[in-house]
Amino acid sequence: MIYNFPIDWFFISILFFIGAYCMVVSKNIIKLLIGFEIISKSALIAVITAGLATNNINLAQNIIIVMILVEAVVIASGLALVVKYYRLNQSIDITKIINLKG
Amino acid sequence: MTLYLLIYFIIIMGAVVAVISKKLINSAIMLALLSIGVSILLFAYNAPWAAVFELSVCAGLITVLFVSAVSLVKHDEENIKENRVKYVLLPLLLIGFIISASIIVPEYFSKLQIFSTYNTQKEEPIGKLIWLYRGVDIIGQLTLLASSVFVIKHIFFKRKEADNGGKI
Repeated sequence: MIYNFPIDWFFISILFFIGAYCMVVSKNIIKLLIGFEIISKSALIAVITAGLATNNINLAQNIIIVMILVEAVVIASGLALVVKYYRLNQSIDITKIINLKG
Repeated sequence: MTLYLLIYFIIIMGAVVAVISKKLINSAIMLALLSIGVSILLFAYNAPWAAVFELSVCAGLITVLFVSAVSLVKHDEENIKENRVKYVLLPLLLIGFIISASIIVPEYFSKLQIFSTYNTQKEEPIGKLIWLYRGVDIIGQLTLLASSVFVIKHIFFKRKEADNGGKI
């Protein structure tokens, strides 16, 4: 098994940076969800790398299965909210979501 | 080692193109490519169960959800006036981040690896781990699934015509 823990974390940090940048910059809600997905992918690789480093690969797989399910639930609910909001207000611009503003 | 670097290159290129792409449908497809890259990485790291879940749920289900949502809100993506300069800046910022991270991150995590406790015993099979040791997670997963079903049901509920003056 050839793997390198520090190099893995180097790529994980790059992936996290891309996702965080996407979430900070974009106004489109679907783009925000895409950024969230990229960040969760980086977290997933982090868990499997930590599992490899400590010889607990099956436990890491177990946690990853739960993570994937949480990811799918969040994305499904978020996209349902986006579609509903678009039907009501004809927009998915996050700066225009001010209906709940006090 | 070259194989891993190639897989990581695919993952990062998929992420960058998903972020800087102008059309949302291209972003969704590049996200699927990213998921496929991650699942290949998981197969290479000897984690086949996680890889199968990743391939079926993230590369399959979530891509379908994204594509359907994009097709439902398709007309709006031109109306949002986004500053594209921010997206074009990403590769430049990424190069700066790569250079600074290559100095700091590997050194820090090689120090951190010293403190990790290595499991010397033979590990339990995954079925036993799921059902015996982490059985509570199954309840949590079922609750999450049920909550998501309730959220979607209540978002797309069918109003009676009398409630809203004939409008749906």
